[in-house]
Amino acid sequence: MSSFPLQRPAQAAGLDSRTISRAKLGDIDAFTAIVEAYHARCIRFARAMLRNPDEAEDMVQETFVRLYRALPRYEERQRFESWLFQILGNCCRTANTAFQRQSSRTTTDDEAVERVASPDDPAAQFDHEWSEAVRRALAEVPEYNREIFLLHYVEGFSYEEVERMTGVKQSALKMRVKRASDLLRTRLSEERR
Amino acid sequence: MTDAERDPVLRRALEELRRVPPADIDAMRRVVAAAAAARVTPFDSEPGVLSPRRGRSIRLWMAVGVAAASAFVGFALRGVWSARARVAPTFVSSTVVDSTNTPLRQVVSAEPDAAPIPTQFVFNSRRAHRISVVGDFNSWNPSNAPMLRSPDGELWSVTIPIAPGRHMYAFMVDDSLFTLDPTAPNARDPDLGTKGSIIIVGRP
Repeated sequence: MSSFPLQRPAQAAGLDSRTISRAKLGDIDAFTAIVEAYHARCIRFARAMLRNPDEAEDMVQETFVRLYRALPRYEERQRFESWLFQILGNCCRTANTAFQRQSSRTTTDDEAVERVASPDDPAAQFDHEWSEAVRRALAEVPEYNREIFLLHYVEGFSYEEVERMTGVKQSALKMRVKRASDLLRTRLSEERR
Repeated sequence: MTDAERDPVLRRALEELRRVPPADIDAMRRVVAAAAAARVTPFDSEPGVLSPRRGRSIRLWMAVGVAAASAFVGFALRGVWSARARVAPTFVSSTVVDSTNTPLRQVVSAEPDAAPIPTQFVFNSRRAHRISVVGDFNSWNPSNAPMLRSPDGELWSVTIPIAPGRHMYAFMVDDSLFTLDPTAPNARDPDLGTKGSIIIVGRP
């Protein structure tokens, strides 16, 4: 494992096409650059998407393994980032289905919150509470709306790109995002009272 | 500014959700190691192997594959030409799995380690310059199963040994056009999120 040069922190996504072409040919250094560029964003998306956020790292790993295996089939006319998040979305939905089936292993939100140590600093405490409130509210958004909301508002994909990724028409996508936004706003407004 | 960002509550929520977690170098190392391990298969180390699980008796099976190809080419040609006569599409293709040769059928098994079965792929195109079969059985590498053009320049075929089981594949036309087999069922590929053609090898 030490042979993989991972000294730099994750960079903002923006790989040149040569790196992707080299990775397609099996160049592990080029693939490493891809992982460096996208890993943190993928973790962010997976934590927000998964019913069990503790699975985020595993799902991101699964996503990159699938991506590496499928790289020879990647067509460069497709945006790489869209393709990556499409695979990640598939992995997260599959994991959510499995997690739902294994009800005995399901952890309630309250239990998950208790596992996170409370910070001592009052300001940090406030941030922490807000962070948990957002997470709880987001968890109430139906998965099919949540994914679109995250892709559009958090990951920055245009409706046109999300339509290509999901096959859902833009009018329906906008409706889903609106429903997710409305529910989030309602839940978070209740939290603030 | 988006509609959501005009709302103060949602704006704060988005600021929280957009916060990128710190880079986890160890996790990234694990990802790279897992991906590298997953892509290195017996196929990668032995160019003649078209099964991800099997790395022996390949020369024998390649020879059997060539023999089987010649035995079935007449059948394949008849099927393709009759299909073309009916609909005359731009691309017509078909797959022919060995199911009549008794010695070959004796080794067909549902076991994961069962021997590869010569499987013929046929594609019809006059315009293409290069066509390959790509699938999970050859790491989706177009250079691993190039198809040969018939003397009339229209029919392309290749016979390759494939491990029994369900496989996903497609045709790579001129190294760039990923084309499904119109004669085969297709399914969504969990890796790509798009569709691939499906073939069941070894089922009678």
